[in-house]
Amino acid sequence: MENMLEINHLSTEFTTENGVVKAVRDVSLNVAKGEILGIVGESGSGKSQTMYSVMGLLAGNGRVAEGEIKIDGRDISPKNYSAKEYDKIMSDIRGNDMAMIFQDPMTFLNPVLTIEYQLCEPILNHNDISKAEARDRAIQLMKEVGIPSPRQRIKQYPYQFSGGMRQRIIIAMALACYPKVIIADEPTTALDVTIQAQVLDLIKSLKNDIDSSVVMITHDLGVVANLCDRIAIMYGGKIVEIGTADEIFYEPKHEYTKGLLSCVANPEDKEKKELHPIPGSPPDLLNIGDWCPFVDRCDKAMKICKMKMPPKEEYSETHSCSCWLSHPYAKAQQAKAQEGKED
Amino acid sequence: MDKTCPILELQDLKVYFGDSKGFFKKKDVVKAVDGISLKIYPGETFGLVGESGCGKSTTGRAIVKINTPTEGKILINGKDITKIKGADLKQFKCDVQMIFQDPYASLNPRMTVGEIIREPMDIHKIYDTVEEREARVRELLELVGLKPDHIRRYPHEFSGGQRQRIGIARTLALNPKFIVCDEPISALDVSIQAQVINLLEEIQDEMGISYLFIAHDLSMVKHISDRIGVMYLGNLVEVGDGDDVYENPMHPYTQALLSAIPIPDPKVAREKQRIVLQGELPSPINPPSGCVFRTRCPKATERCAQDKPELREINGRLVACHLYDKD
Repeated sequence: MENMLEINHLSTEFTTENGVVKAVRDVSLNVAKGEILGIVGESGSGKSQTMYSVMGLLAGNGRVAEGEIKIDGRDISPKNYSAKEYDKIMSDIRGNDMAMIFQDPMTFLNPVLTIEYQLCEPILNHNDISKAEARDRAIQLMKEVGIPSPRQRIKQYPYQFSGGMRQRIIIAMALACYPKVIIADEPTTALDVTIQAQVLDLIKSLKNDIDSSVVMITHDLGVVANLCDRIAIMYGGKIVEIGTADEIFYEPKHEYTKGLLSCVANPEDKEKKELHPIPGSPPDLLNIGDWCPFVDRCDKAMKICKMKMPPKEEYSETHSCSCWLSHPYAKAQQAKAQEGKED
Repeated sequence: MDKTCPILELQDLKVYFGDSKGFFKKKDVVKAVDGISLKIYPGETFGLVGESGCGKSTTGRAIVKINTPTEGKILINGKDITKIKGADLKQFKCDVQMIFQDPYASLNPRMTVGEIIREPMDIHKIYDTVEEREARVRELLELVGLKPDHIRRYPHEFSGGQRQRIGIARTLALNPKFIVCDEPISALDVSIQAQVINLLEEIQDEMGISYLFIAHDLSMVKHISDRIGVMYLGNLVEVGDGDDVYENPMHPYTQALLSAIPIPDPKVAREKQRIVLQGELPSPINPPSGCVFRTRCPKATERCAQDKPELREINGRLVACHLYDKD
């Protein structure tokens, strides 16, 4: 299948008072046309910063240190352009080919501008149409995302909308130019479960209507299980495991993925299962070494885990994982240890 | 579990905000909690769930006397605490404690961990000397899984999960009998949430404390609770044994709420039929007549607009819905 978004060996750094924070370290990802990819990780795992790097929305002290980014075959790697050229390209692409749905619907909208102004802005910027046409399109979009009586409500201000309705407006803004790639950064974290279900259904059906690709950034395993075709697990700025939803949930390979799955409660379980939390806390990205980021919390860690970065092991066309435990040598050692026990 | 003598009993509790007694101005009254009654027994965990704005936190805050009830009674061990004063009030503060939602905002950044945990003991003059109190602080730190030598550190030196542990140690300082946990894990990462939940369960096993566990994360509530109460717009709509309620929800709102939980299992998720509720929570300033849920209820009838259903026992469970009326 054709790739809409390609990320190769992306590294992003932030310069702070205390040193350089390596937020994203050598991340490679592809998103196919019409696919929903979930990126799962804890706070500080670099899942949002990966996508902010793609959108060119890094904070002032951040920069893409290495790597290539392509959208629909077009190169948008910051290193290949001067700052001015890059800004020009990105302002053409943002909101047009690629759009973002942000986490907090309460702070994203400008409180002193009407919904009409905010919704028409991207449409007018990227299309050569009149204001009246843009307005009709905006009303159409509001209808599509399920806002009742859009003709009246388009004149209102953000404070007159509830959280779920505001998130719908943000989705409408992201969809305004039928983007090829939609990046959703925790779109439902600030919402209640019943509203979350409405918004997730909406994203799914709209994705099918305009046939775009979606990258869903979240920490909620329930959300990805419901929505995503493929899932990437991030930890300490790296992708530790990637595979289809079934592969990640039913055949997890990385110890961190296994840990994550065993520390969420599943309400469908008939019997109460014990939660197995992952001990310790996430690594400090300021002084992170060039070895497996999970080593300090992993109960199966070996000597080599703290010496070298584990290589990527492929299990199927879609499923790969970076862990020393899956290295043939480690397997041989384990087999030996097993035999020793049996003897 | 002792089912005879509840440690906490709410009798028709009402908490209204903006209740103005002014002569010229008649303000809108927000009916945050509109008449709820429930009992919690010693050693039990009662989970209170509902969407934001349903009044679950206000209920918890009324129990620890942060919000003053407009009407109704709150009985702790059979004693009404809404109007207590003096020595009784002090004893009440020892017995009932609260764990707050945001571990980043609920600890004073200018106090050391030792001072934070010791403060309740200083106020209530438990133990005679500072040394004895410090020894108890070290014990508590160990109990919640921190190191005793963390006592001289400041909160900013700790991660979110560790801060929540400090908060838990502080609530335990007075040996409470009842703890209100107001969304204690929602500000934490998934892998850390399980650590805190397991800690709360261990403490309960050891000390026999009762919890009122308020949360909007329904999967975790099911995991920790013995009984569950579902709130909607200031009213309790269903109360029952945790597993029963999840397996066989009776009230239409409970059914919708539970079907909206995203299940962390792709195969189940693909087959699951969701009941997607239309619309949003009505304003608590002007709640609907009759049953509060009728504006979003897929099974609402004419009767629902007129009579407000009472919480009644049906098959060993309390449900407030006309669908289960016999006549």
